[in-house]
Amino acid sequence: MSPVILAARDIDYVYPGNVQALQGLSLDIEQGRKLAVLGPNGSGKTTLLLHLNGTLKPRRGEILLDGRPAAYDRRSLNIWRSRVGLVLQEPDDQLFSASVYQDISFGPLNQGLSAAEARERVRLALAALHIKPLAERATHMLSFGQKKRVAIAGILAMRPEVLILDEPTAGLDAQGVAQLLTVLEEQRRAGATLVFATHDMDLAYTWADVVAVFCDGRVLRQGETVAVLSDRELLQAARLKMPWLLEVAQALGELEQPPRSQEALLELLRQSHSSPVTVQTPLPDPPPQGGRELLQNSYLAYSPSPCGRGLEGGG
Amino acid sequence: MHLTDQHAWTNRWRRYHPAEKLLLAGGLLLLSITLPPLTTAPVVLLVVWLATVIGAGIPAAALARFIAVPSAFLLTSVPFLVLSVSSSQGIAFSPSGLETALRVVARSLAAISSMAFLTLTTPVIAWTPLLRRLGVPQAIVEIMLLIYRLIFVFAEQAVTASQAQAARLGYDGIRRSLHSLGLLVASLLERSLARMRRLEIGLAARNFDGELRVLQPTYALSLWRLALIGSTLLAVAAVSLLGNQLLAKAMT
Repeated sequence: MSPVILAARDIDYVYPGNVQALQGLSLDIEQGRKLAVLGPNGSGKTTLLLHLNGTLKPRRGEILLDGRPAAYDRRSLNIWRSRVGLVLQEPDDQLFSASVYQDISFGPLNQGLSAAEARERVRLALAALHIKPLAERATHMLSFGQKKRVAIAGILAMRPEVLILDEPTAGLDAQGVAQLLTVLEEQRRAGATLVFATHDMDLAYTWADVVAVFCDGRVLRQGETVAVLSDRELLQAARLKMPWLLEVAQALGELEQPPRSQEALLELLRQSHSSPVTVQTPLPDPPPQGGRELLQNSYLAYSPSPCGRGLEGGG
Repeated sequence: MHLTDQHAWTNRWRRYHPAEKLLLAGGLLLLSITLPPLTTAPVVLLVVWLATVIGAGIPAAALARFIAVPSAFLLTSVPFLVLSVSSSQGIAFSPSGLETALRVVARSLAAISSMAFLTLTTPVIAWTPLLRRLGVPQAIVEIMLLIYRLIFVFAEQAVTASQAQAARLGYDGIRRSLHSLGLLVASLLERSLARMRRLEIGLAARNFDGELRVLQPTYALSLWRLALIGSTLLAVAAVSLLGNQLLAKAMT
């Protein structure tokens, strides 16, 4: 197992007005592995991320950096945030400067680098995200996808060991998502540890090494992607949907290694076409037709009880 | 404003030292104010057109639009200069008034156009180092730039929100329009505050410590361009004065 670089231990957080956001949450971020934190909207994913870079301080429990409890004084926070970079979901919440170049230079200068060093960092960050032509542009003239990349470049320029992204693919088109994933893969190869918070199950399945299923303020289970996402009961409890690739794989029978990408699935189907795979388990029943019935049977049905009851011990 | 700003960011002269542009614009402004307007204005307009359209590559229409707005105010004052009111004649046309009006219009147009050149060719980030050098406190400059950035964010929000209101018939009739506008303003205020809180989080993630330090663009002063600007200004003055003499001779 890779060393745990950043961890949350049993943290509680309550928003003003007694809104319980996190409740006994624990999470491990292992060095060099891609982690997806999965949860429905409003489950507290963003609150968790804000704990991971010290923006919020847990009411109970602690955040561990390299196994040591993190401190919240100014100096420690500066070191912490230099090591753990957080990219917010909405790039306009992060880009404050009139020009792209200036905005990216902000973090490195705050780290106390000289102008020459900062210049170099900006150059490399622009290159890493393939946005060199945007350097001299005005921030407000960029498209959403471009803004997103500039926001990421602003964090990358600080050379964080852990790069945390809140809903990184939200609002991006298919090509934008593909480009973003390529860029991040390059960062991972260069040694960065990546964390996504997302509700996109299909993305998490194809992308992550490890997933943490998150619901109503705590992590129900964290583990290897395929193992965790094959657990239908768990996903139902967390009001999440099984990734379609896994859904198809399960319909095809208990495969030793379910396909992790669309290409892998197509390859599998092509092979089975020449020598037909015997479907070992019956195909699931077709979905019911009536609207009310559909809603009741669907994982989307509103469940008034908190998720994860009866799943104690997960996580 | 959006279009003007866009030209400032993208024109061919954006990388030139702002002091050079300031020298040209300021020089032209000074000449327009001090020299006889009837002969100066056409030369100044010509130089501005050459610099903005031919030099910086900004469409002539953008320049014209920039000049047109203040010119509208200018034209409204013309009748009051041309007509004179006296107890004996009532309201009457005055020939000396016509000449005054012409002078005022020419002088103002020249002054406006030299400012138009400066505004259309200089992006906001070019001003920061200059403002700092002029002794404007860092905090003020930062607030200016932040406001500049947020204007665009909020303008976008305002447009989207008002479109959404209009889609639900919020602007049907004066009463409802006023009501909707009130709601819009209130929601924008709330959203701005929420956005500021989130921006604070975003900045904190990059170790914000109270000062918005960023790399300033560097510009190189070019002796060649400075010489060109100097000689242009001299030429404008010479042509204007010479023309004025010829004009005076022709009048007598």
